[in-house]
Amino acid sequence: MNADKINFLKRRRTLAWLTGLLVTPNASSQVTGQPSSVTSSLRHPVTPFAPVVPGYRLQFPQDEGSHPEFRLEWWYVTGWLEDAGRPLGFQVTFFRARPDLKHDNPSAFAPRQIMIAHAALSDPAHGKLLHAQRAARAGFELAGAEQGRTRVWVDDWLIEQLGRYYRARLSARDFQLDLAFVPTQPPLLQGENGLSRKGPAQESASYYYSLPQLKVSGMLARDGKQRQVAGSAWLDHEWSSQYMEQDAVGWDWVGINLDDGSALMAFRMRDRQGGSYWAGGALRRADGIARVFAPDEIRFTPRRTWRSPRTGADYPVSWTVKAGDLEIAIEPLFDDQEHDTRRSTGTIYWEGAARAFVEGKPAGRGYLELTGYWRRPNL
Amino acid sequence: MTAVAHVLVAGAFRENAGRTLLAIIAIALGVALGVAVHLVNSSAVNEFGIAARHLAGEADLVVRGPRAGFDEALYPRIARLPQVTAINPSVEAEVPRYGHKESLKIIGMDLMRAADVQPALLPERTGLTLESFDADAILLSPAAARWLGVKAGDNLTLQVGTRPVALKVIGLLPEGSYRQRIGVMDVASAQWRLARLGRLDRMDLKLKSGVDVESFRRELQTMLPPGVHATTPDTEARRGASLSRAYRLNLEMLALIALFTGAFLVFSSQVLALLRRRTQLALMRVLGVTRRHLAAWLAAEGAAIGVLGAALGVGLGYELARYAVTFVGADLGAGYFRSVEIGLTADPRTLAFFFLLGVLFAVLGATAPALEAAYRPPARALRAGDEEEGPGKPGTAYWGLAAAGAGALLARLPAIDGLPLAGYAAIGLILLGTVLLMPRLAAFSLACVPVPRAGVAAIGIAQIKATPRQTAIGIAAIVISFSLMVSMLIMVSSFRVSLEAWLGRMLPADLYLRAARSGETGFLTPEVQARIAATPGVGRVEFLRGQNLLLGPERPPVILLARPVTAGTADKVLPLNAPPLVPRPNEPPPVWVSEVAADLYGMRPGDKVRLPIGDRPLLYTVAGVWRDYARQGGAIAIDRELYIGITGDRLANDAAVWLASGVGPADVASALREHVGADESIEIATTREVRAASLALFDRTFAITYVIEFAAVLIGLFGVSVSFGAQALARRREFGVLRHVGMTRREVGAMLGSEGALTAGLGVAFGLAVGWMVSLILVDVVNRQSFHWSMEVHPPWPALAGLAALIVAAAALTAMWSGRAAMDDDVVRAVREDW
Amino acid sequence: MLTLRGLSKSYGGTRPRAVLRGIELHVARGEYVAIMGESGVGKSTLLNLIAGLDTPDSGTVSLDGTGVTTLDDDARTLLRRDRMGFVFQAFHLLPHLTVAQNVALPLSLAGTPRSQTKRRVGDMLAAVGLADAAASRPRELSGGEMQRAAIARALVHQPLLLLADEPTGNLDADSAAQVLALLREQVKRESGAGIIVTHSAAAAATADRVLVLTANGLRPRRAS
Repeated sequence: MNADKINFLKRRRTLAWLTGLLVTPNASSQVTGQPSSVTSSLRHPVTPFAPVVPGYRLQFPQDEGSHPEFRLEWWYVTGWLEDAGRPLGFQVTFFRARPDLKHDNPSAFAPRQIMIAHAALSDPAHGKLLHAQRAARAGFELAGAEQGRTRVWVDDWLIEQLGRYYRARLSARDFQLDLAFVPTQPPLLQGENGLSRKGPAQESASYYYSLPQLKVSGMLARDGKQRQVAGSAWLDHEWSSQYMEQDAVGWDWVGINLDDGSALMAFRMRDRQGGSYWAGGALRRADGIARVFAPDEIRFTPRRTWRSPRTGADYPVSWTVKAGDLEIAIEPLFDDQEHDTRRSTGTIYWEGAARAFVEGKPAGRGYLELTGYWRRPNL
Repeated sequence: MTAVAHVLVAGAFRENAGRTLLAIIAIALGVALGVAVHLVNSSAVNEFGIAARHLAGEADLVVRGPRAGFDEALYPRIARLPQVTAINPSVEAEVPRYGHKESLKIIGMDLMRAADVQPALLPERTGLTLESFDADAILLSPAAARWLGVKAGDNLTLQVGTRPVALKVIGLLPEGSYRQRIGVMDVASAQWRLARLGRLDRMDLKLKSGVDVESFRRELQTMLPPGVHATTPDTEARRGASLSRAYRLNLEMLALIALFTGAFLVFSSQVLALLRRRTQLALMRVLGVTRRHLAAWLAAEGAAIGVLGAALGVGLGYELARYAVTFVGADLGAGYFRSVEIGLTADPRTLAFFFLLGVLFAVLGATAPALEAAYRPPARALRAGDEEEGPGKPGTAYWGLAAAGAGALLARLPAIDGLPLAGYAAIGLILLGTVLLMPRLAAFSLACVPVPRAGVAAIGIAQIKATPRQTAIGIAAIVISFSLMVSMLIMVSSFRVSLEAWLGRMLPADLYLRAARSGETGFLTPEVQARIAATPGVGRVEFLRGQNLLLGPERPPVILLARPVTAGTADKVLPLNAPPLVPRPNEPPPVWVSEVAADLYGMRPGDKVRLPIGDRPLLYTVAGVWRDYARQGGAIAIDRELYIGITGDRLANDAAVWLASGVGPADVASALREHVGADESIEIATTREVRAASLALFDRTFAITYVIEFAAVLIGLFGVSVSFGAQALARRREFGVLRHVGMTRREVGAMLGSEGALTAGLGVAFGLAVGWMVSLILVDVVNRQSFHWSMEVHPPWPALAGLAALIVAAAALTAMWSGRAAMDDDVVRAVREDW
Repeated sequence: MLTLRGLSKSYGGTRPRAVLRGIELHVARGEYVAIMGESGVGKSTLLNLIAGLDTPDSGTVSLDGTGVTTLDDDARTLLRRDRMGFVFQAFHLLPHLTVAQNVALPLSLAGTPRSQTKRRVGDMLAAVGLADAAASRPRELSGGEMQRAAIARALVHQPLLLLADEPTGNLDADSAAQVLALLREQVKRESGAGIIVTHSAAAAATADRVLVLTANGLRPRRAS
């Protein structure tokens, strides 16, 4: 995970000002194509960021905790819930960003680490996403990311590792979640033993592991009504210090908990022509045997596009994804899972719950992300 | 009826165009002043309130500390309260611009938290960039950028301590989001760059929906350290304006006085106009116009004057207000709203109010003469010579005495809601009483005036003595305007003389040195202090630390002055009202409170008070009350050693320097600059310069007062000239006779001049007496209750005498001039024009 | 004593008209002359010219050898003050002064010492029968009384010439008769000469000589 990750974060997981927090204005204007009105300056970080180096062996549970010396890190939970027999998609994410500070400010408020939390609910009955976000600088015990185990929080939003299971708790205006995730499988190391390449350049990489096939149970409250819910989820934990390579303009990602207990992650970076610029993925079968795919073993083929009535953007919401020998069809839980964040970041992308079919039969459930499809009109 | 109305009203206007115009102008001027003062004031206060509310954004409560702030550890404790849904911790300070006189308000807040509480204070669209968190990054409101003349990308150098702090303007807040001058920094940068590490000044809290704000505020208050207060943004907004409340009321009262004199002008001009038209009006009655109709039509004349004048005044007032805001400032020069940028907000209801007030005053002015004219038996009115008889009888003195007596009683009442309303009412009643008593007083005093043996003056004075009622009107006009002028002059002079004496007490040293002229982040570090003390030529130096204390959430902060004071000899350094009290060894240490603080917080010498100095509130003994004209929110003085012992704060803001013998102040000043260091920004002034600056500030504060007062006096003089002019017109036939009898024009002029001088002389004498009484109320009641400071009465005799002479001369000249105008060619014919 | 030669006066305006043309008149010392004439014929203008309140277009007025028409306004005023007295149709007492003060006006203006003034005013008021009204205000008097007071004022300084302009115009017949008798008596006693302008035949009858002012000049009244 390298630079693309950051861009990926930028586009995909959207927090308004996060844009600027993580990249210098120049970079941001290049990426967004929008000239920045604030002045830029060459930045010399006070302390250097740690690099992603081949050969590092991920340790559990230590590496489930925070890696503050890296520029960027996230804990990303996506999953499906059964709410009174109706399926719902949900997503809870915590980002830790270490800004490229120019000064070593002794203030306790100095933004040495910034925590950003993001949650969304995909309810077909609602027809579009419900989402909420929180952000704060780490400090005063009000926000932070613990080292040595998973515990990340912003005010009363949190994901915490408690012995064998994880807990996510947050309350937004439209919904409140309090969920427990119990792993049924060991961590799945992505890439080469957890080092995931994001482009041809050697340093374009991240540390990346996933916890697929998490059993979910807990409480979901909406409209003042609490309900017990259960389902399955997928946790990604990834950290890096690199920026994304300039040639990639968008990103398609899918993570599926297959019904037979296996788990599939596949992604591809798109170039300006819409072709694959880089790709990667892994499939682990229920018996624990994992296969990591080379870039040319992953193929994303769109089957159907949906045009957003709000933005006019065309999203390929239905896919055939080929990973090695496995050919899998991806269908969204519902079409309109477009995430409009123009007001804050100026970006719009699609992120939502999706079903997987193998040879026309339901085979699993997971999440699909599509970025870089919306183009801002030329100003 | 319309024909009659036409004859009456249009005729009156045509016949007395000049006088009517004067009355219209007088009403217009009164209304204009009222509108202008009110518009500027209300716009400034409104703007102040808007600014305070915008600063608080969507917050339900604001937690605010004194200038020293509070420990940042309070922040997480409050943030974790379950009722709090969002909170933004901030550093807030007025920061001087390095090398400049002005200062900029800076709020250093958590830019990330601001999105939840004060989103308007964040930059637009582009969002926060990493650059926003640079320690030298600052965002400016568009108003601040315009004022400072900088744009995004420019550098801005501020002063902290005596050193420059270079910041970079990384962008502007969206236009319209915050109208005032403000700089926004991240809280971490502000803590570091503004030397406030570990401290916060305010926290803006948003509460969960359903939380009762007031009961939570009380609960929260119990968790806050002393001197730190939780208030609602509304209270914040009001508090900002509370300091200037009394001042604003004073100005509006002055404007009302101008309107009042305008009404008096309408009255006197109508009295005399109707006097002149009495036979004409009597004819109307004979022709069958009812009294009621006649009175109504005559009052309508006043209303017409009022409508024209008030309409003119509203327009003029609005323009005046715009001019004042643009060129004088929102505080009209008084220094209350220094950095406020005003958008003039003209509430139509306010404008309508002043319009109606103008019409009302004009109608009131016209009603009494109208009734008098309408109810006079027409047969008598038709008789030759009747028009020269003044209206009404001297009447009973009871009403006048009752009004003046009620005024005297009201003057003893305390302030109402912090405002000297009873005092103003007392002044109004005393003036009203004077007007009501004037016919009696005039008759009495005229009877005492000796008549010269012979000559022209004898005829004039005999004439005056014979018409006390008419003369009373002229006298009253002068009494009203002159007494107001006298009272204001005595008040201002008393204040100025007292201020000069006070400055003498407060500025005993030879040189004064300070870190910055304005703002809150200038200070002298112990190193700088040592360098100052060690400068050659410096004999003795005393350092002063200025902080402030919040003693109540509704009130502005009280200034805490830490300077060397010894309990036994406190009267040597502070202008105490009474000999200093020395606390016994087992009593708490002494502090000395200013009159304002004593009044506002009810502190009396000997009281034991708990003050939030330092982080732990301790008991102190109030060892004396001192006069302080400088700090309107109140001040408390404490010995600096004691202060350092309690707070550990060794910084200082000012230094008073006594020169060693044999050196000049200029040499020492340059030696100080050299010794302190070239980069260090310090300001050095001689005692004379400080005095001069203070007095200049004083004069500027009173400039607008003078302007309004001048207008009132001008209107009063209009009244006098109208009254003389109308009398002269009414006496044309008399002039004709006198010319026949052998008086030269000059002699008639001299006669009128002596009449004018006598009238004005009496007016000035009564005006002086009434003005003296009013000035005592102004000094001891209005001033004391408005600003809580005492002063001695110092009448400016030469100025008063000069003014009195000027008014007598002006009146004499006006009378002569109006006589001359009335004595043109047709006086001869006037004698023959019999019916 | 009073001599008018070739006196002419016309008034401008939209319709310029000659009011007086070539007036010739001589009044000898001790003489009491009445001038009659129709309304608008210029009686008042004539009086104004004699009194120096107006200036003629041509001709001269001389009083006791002094050329009134050659003097400036101030000098004419002084002449009026010292040498002339006036009685008006509407009395024109100053309403705010007492009767005595009104009568004393000319002396007061001339700076006559107070004791002398007092005595003289007392004499005059006694002469016109108003001794007990000295302290009254004019409005307290009847019309006849007011005119008697006005006669006292006109003669208090013993003028050379008394000018009376329709002095009985505002009075009833009884009062008029009294006033006319008094006026003649007092003119004869206190003044050098007197001119009374009137269109009352009764008033004219009290004069020594009656002249009629017409558009063609001043002519003696034809006996009829």
